[in-house]
Amino acid sequence: MDIIESQLNSATVLALSGRLDGLASPALDQKIDALVASGVRTVVFDCSALAYVSSAGLRSFLTSAKKLKNANGKAAFAALSPSVKEVFELSGFLTVLEVHPTTASAAA
Amino acid sequence: MSSPATTITLANDLAEIPRLAEAVEAFCEPFEPSMKDILGLQLALEELITNIINYGYPDGQPHTFTVDLSAPAADRIRAVITDDAIAYDPLARAEVDVTLPLDERPIGGLGVHLVKKLMDVSHYERRDGKNILTIERRLNRPE
Repeated sequence: MDIIESQLNSATVLALSGRLDGLASPALDQKIDALVASGVRTVVFDCSALAYVSSAGLRSFLTSAKKLKNANGKAAFAALSPSVKEVFELSGFLTVLEVHPTTASAAA
Repeated sequence: MSSPATTITLANDLAEIPRLAEAVEAFCEPFEPSMKDILGLQLALEELITNIINYGYPDGQPHTFTVDLSAPAADRIRAVITDDAIAYDPLARAEVDVTLPLDERPIGGLGVHLVKKLMDVSHYERRDGKNILTIERRLNRPE
């Protein structure tokens, strides 16, 4: 999995591409820890090129959202592919997490 | 023509996850699965082998176990995971509550939930000192 960081409005956007599996998820955890430590409070996960997420990836997403919330920030998830959206739906994540159709609306 | 089948031998190492995913995709391809079929099978297998890799061999030593892929029908893919790890039925795990809000969500427990939702068959048995997990997915199943 690749993570590309950019800024949009006041949000830090992380564009995820490839597969967020049990092997890749620790890198995302480290990235979020570093961002929160550096003072970032709003993170948008651009999932448009994310092909696959397993429960290990979901765990990273949930942990990220909790960490940001505890720091008075927020996480938003944008542009889910149909497969990733199905996994979110089956896990109840569509209601637990803030999900947007586009990165632009998530960062608005 | 006999139906195709293949056996993949895996080490107890999370680095095996992508290799298994590639083998699943290659095996399924001739059956013209949807993307959701491939990703669903890859996800179910990742969840189940992760349990084995993380908890099955507490001695910390290298071990191997197998995944047998087969197609019992032209529209069904079956995977059988056979390991000699400690006896454990992951399918017996209590159902998770997927309606809890963020603050009350436990970290974890989702993997087996996803296996049951994404597979049409999931079955565990302990036989001859081995854990044998069988999962099946019907390809291109209606939404």
